[in-house]
Amino acid sequence: MFRQKAGWRGLSLQTRLCWAGFLFVLPALLHLIAFKFYPMVEAFRLSFYTYDLMSPPVFHGLENYRAVWNNPLFHQSFWVSVKYMFGVSIPEWFLALALALLLNRRMPGRPLIRLAYFFPIAMSQIVVALVWKFMYNPLGVVNTVLGSVGVGRINWLATEETALPALILIGIWRGIPLFGVIYLAGLQSIPKEYHEAATIDGAGPWQSFIHVTIPLLMPTILFVMVMSLLSAMKVFLNPLVMTEGGPNGTTRVLPYFIYETAFAYHRMGEAAAASMVLFAFAFALTLIQLRLLRRGGVE
Amino acid sequence: MSRKALMSWGGRLVTLLTIAGIGLTLLPYFWMLSSSLKTGSEVFELPIRWLPREPQWSNYPDALSRGAFGVYFFNSTLVALAVMAGNLLFCSLAGYGLAKFRFPYRELSFRAILSTLMLPLEIVLVPTFLVVRGLGLVNNYGGLIVPLAVDAFGIFLMRQYIKDLPDSLIEAARLDGCSEHGIFWRIILPNCTPALGALALLTFRDAVIAMIPTAIIFLFFQRAFVRGIALSGLKE
Repeated sequence: MFRQKAGWRGLSLQTRLCWAGFLFVLPALLHLIAFKFYPMVEAFRLSFYTYDLMSPPVFHGLENYRAVWNNPLFHQSFWVSVKYMFGVSIPEWFLALALALLLNRRMPGRPLIRLAYFFPIAMSQIVVALVWKFMYNPLGVVNTVLGSVGVGRINWLATEETALPALILIGIWRGIPLFGVIYLAGLQSIPKEYHEAATIDGAGPWQSFIHVTIPLLMPTILFVMVMSLLSAMKVFLNPLVMTEGGPNGTTRVLPYFIYETAFAYHRMGEAAAASMVLFAFAFALTLIQLRLLRRGGVE
Repeated sequence: MSRKALMSWGGRLVTLLTIAGIGLTLLPYFWMLSSSLKTGSEVFELPIRWLPREPQWSNYPDALSRGAFGVYFFNSTLVALAVMAGNLLFCSLAGYGLAKFRFPYRELSFRAILSTLMLPLEIVLVPTFLVVRGLGLVNNYGGLIVPLAVDAFGIFLMRQYIKDLPDSLIEAARLDGCSEHGIFWRIILPNCTPALGALALLTFRDAVIAMIPTAIIFLFFQRAFVRGIALSGLKE
């Protein structure tokens, strides 16, 4: 079928397909090697050196890891991150699903209603951070609204007890539509016949939800769980723009701690060591979730 | 009241709640819009003014003339478009390669690609800067575009979508003598527009100015957008 010629055309179909597939993936792979894997390996190497960006790096063994471990700010920051991650993602899992269920119902004007919920996904993160910073201002909208129900004026972002919850609220508010779209897509891929069959068998809406929707939605649910935790772990811009990690470090999440160590104190090696700890944490967390996922019978 | 009538009233109530919820979602944006037409003191006035007394339309020309707004606008648009184009091209290429071909270490490559999703950008800021500098991309558009031109999420999305396209489509084109890159451009790309649309929206989102066009595109293509995500099926 194929003319035997030298070069590309001369190869067997199988070999050619092998090469073709590899060549399709190659540009993306090279890019990730240059901008993700190589920097990662560099960061790992750097975590064993003392480096201040000016003088050449000096090998220091595990000194950076010891310094990070003995730094009380790192421990504080780790727990801030954990609180933020779960504080944001657990409400997201449920509220995003609730939103998707609401938007999956038949109702007049559904395309417009969906648009109103989903288009904020397209909003720039910086704009979101600035708008909320304005709203949390002591003279801002949040206090005014709460003042009308008798709550006193609070400087939300400058009070230790309220700064982190204030940031968590923004995270949730921003995450619901994003994960709502993903849930909605999952809901739409469940064939209608399944629910019809359940109804014929006498299942009410609640039973049908528990025994049909949830099991069939499991892959989506677990995807949302992993992605929401990882994206909450990566939060950086909001603390940077709104609180600069304050007051008293109560909003200094780990990525902000790393940024500060590297670019405010010029301790590159220590920042790299902290990065490695964060990466290991993310990796372990994802692994646990994937394990649970497999046990849940979803692959 | 009969059970049926009760159900339909319940349904209407839920619809009303759904519509009311829009208020919570959009309130911050509404407030931003209304503040953009207020005087400085009106913004913090008590009791709260939801609408400006007299719209200060001059705020807009004032803001636009402060700094080199035109340049910033141009920069944002250019960078956002280039990043989007890079993602559309490279993620669909890689997604196609991973979905429809067999080659050594394919699964390993795919897992390695997915693992980069766990990496906060800030973590590798310094080494990334060194790479950018090594490529001579400091202080030009390339430095903003190239590091973001491929994203693992996009590759994942495209792979899942292309996986569901029938193999027979590709084999028929191959039998007709279509070259491998010809198959990609003429068969694969035209058949995955919903996924490409979803990817375009998600990668374009960090350009502020993109908001209104994005809203319009979403209104018209939301079926395709949601389907794009649905079909790329989070099923493995």
